[in-house]
Amino acid sequence: MAIADFVKSAGESFRVGWKIESNWTDPVLFATYQVIRPLASLLIVAFIVIIGASVGASANSAFYSQYLAWLIVGNAFYAFVLQIMLGMAILVHVDRTRYEVLKNIYISPGTLHPYVIGRGLVSVVNGAVSVILTLLFSVAIFNGLLHMNIPLNLLNVNLLMLQPARHWLHALRCKHRFESNGIHPGRLCLRHLLPSRGSHLPNCPTALVRTADLECVADNLLAQRCSRELRSLAHSELHVRSCLLGCDDSCYIDHWDCSVQAGRTEGEEARTL
Amino acid sequence: MLPKATPREELLINLRAAYARMWVRLRGSNREITGLVAEIGLPILTIGAYVILYRAIGLPPTAGAAVIIGGAMIAFWTNVLWNMSSQWFWERESGNLEMYLVAPVSRMSVLLGMAMGGSVNTSIRALGIVLLGIFVFQVPFQLADPLSIGLVFVLTLVALYTMGMLFASIFMLYGREAWNTANLLQEPVYFLSGAYFPRIYAPVVPFALQAAGSLIPMTIGLDAIRRLAINGEGIATVWPHILALIACTLILFPLARRALNYMESLGKKEGRLTLRWQ
Repeated sequence: MAIADFVKSAGESFRVGWKIESNWTDPVLFATYQVIRPLASLLIVAFIVIIGASVGASANSAFYSQYLAWLIVGNAFYAFVLQIMLGMAILVHVDRTRYEVLKNIYISPGTLHPYVIGRGLVSVVNGAVSVILTLLFSVAIFNGLLHMNIPLNLLNVNLLMLQPARHWLHALRCKHRFESNGIHPGRLCLRHLLPSRGSHLPNCPTALVRTADLECVADNLLAQRCSRELRSLAHSELHVRSCLLGCDDSCYIDHWDCSVQAGRTEGEEARTL
Repeated sequence: MLPKATPREELLINLRAAYARMWVRLRGSNREITGLVAEIGLPILTIGAYVILYRAIGLPPTAGAAVIIGGAMIAFWTNVLWNMSSQWFWERESGNLEMYLVAPVSRMSVLLGMAMGGSVNTSIRALGIVLLGIFVFQVPFQLADPLSIGLVFVLTLVALYTMGMLFASIFMLYGREAWNTANLLQEPVYFLSGAYFPRIYAPVVPFALQAAGSLIPMTIGLDAIRRLAINGEGIATVWPHILALIACTLILFPLARRALNYMESLGKKEGRLTLRWQ
């Protein structure tokens, strides 16, 4: 049910995001803009190389073809940088100051997460459309019309090169894998990779326990600490690996950020897990 | 009934309105020094990419100089596009358009004030871009005839901002399309004007592109400035450019005036001149 709500919120956010991106304007005008803008950027770069070749800086035409192929690919994929970084960067600012809807979203029963995801997806879709169109136009114009023999074959893209990225994601998820009380892979987010809230503040130990009293099942304490749902659980069922602390080491449980400090005696730096 | 103002009084009040609008623009754009620094520093990154690209493909350093001048002129186009053409749209959204319309001055004087303020502001930034570009990339310039460069530059600005006035008049009734239309006129104009090319009037550039680019005064002015400042040519070689720029101004200014009057009357008839969020 929660997933359905999340998806529904993200879907609505996507719809709103689309309207905002297009500024509620004529779809034809917006589509034209989406097509012409990357095409014009591409032509700037392409003509730089063509004019460069015409001036005769180098007689090696293969060099220019190769160079142009790199520029086309770089220029095409820069659309993602432009769309996503710019769109996401000003999202909160625009919603707060221009449209003044951030407070309404904030007090709604849902969270900002599906809203931000929905808005981000719009940028991804717009960027992807720009990338695809730019690449298609490039091949059509430079290879089809101008016969420049740019080494750019869209049908020969090595999709297996995406495998390392997939492996990296898989490894990341495994790191935070759900053991008994870990994080569900589907719920892994950037927050889990960042330092916990208040980790820069001085610790305030509130209880002294012995590690022998603790169960030792969790594989990743960091994941537990950062999971909002498990934060309350950590108060009662804190899982610490015995190999880190030793069976009889004393440790402090910091209830404020649910961390554990071990071996903290006078003059000794505490180990925070 | 108010007594009818003499032509001299009318001229004075319009000039005062233009000065007031210019003052707002100058004051508003320069009150934050970090904005000024960013507006000079950030274009250098784009320009730098092209200069490095030119070096990589083995073009002479004058190509880098051409890009620096082009990058500086891009600042004027951006200003014309966002701070002139779309200005009535922003004024309507912020609720100032009503005040302009009831003021006993010509709307053209308000546009003139915007243009003057914008051109002064952007000139400061463009100068910063050129100086920083020369300092960072060490590109050669040959300023054999600075007066001619100044003349061509002023004529280019006049023609460009007159075009901005025309766009502003056309955009007056635009609703939300103004945003996307202004966006639409960015990259294609960067391309057509040849701002990032060593020269647009080269045999390798198709004639249709050159003709389309020549409809933008910036293309003509940019080519003339490059010839004067980089190639060291004299005013004799750029007189067709000067004539073309004067012709652009003489054509565009009456057109802007007519378009403004037409759009204003059309907006009043349709009742959406000051209608926000349309």
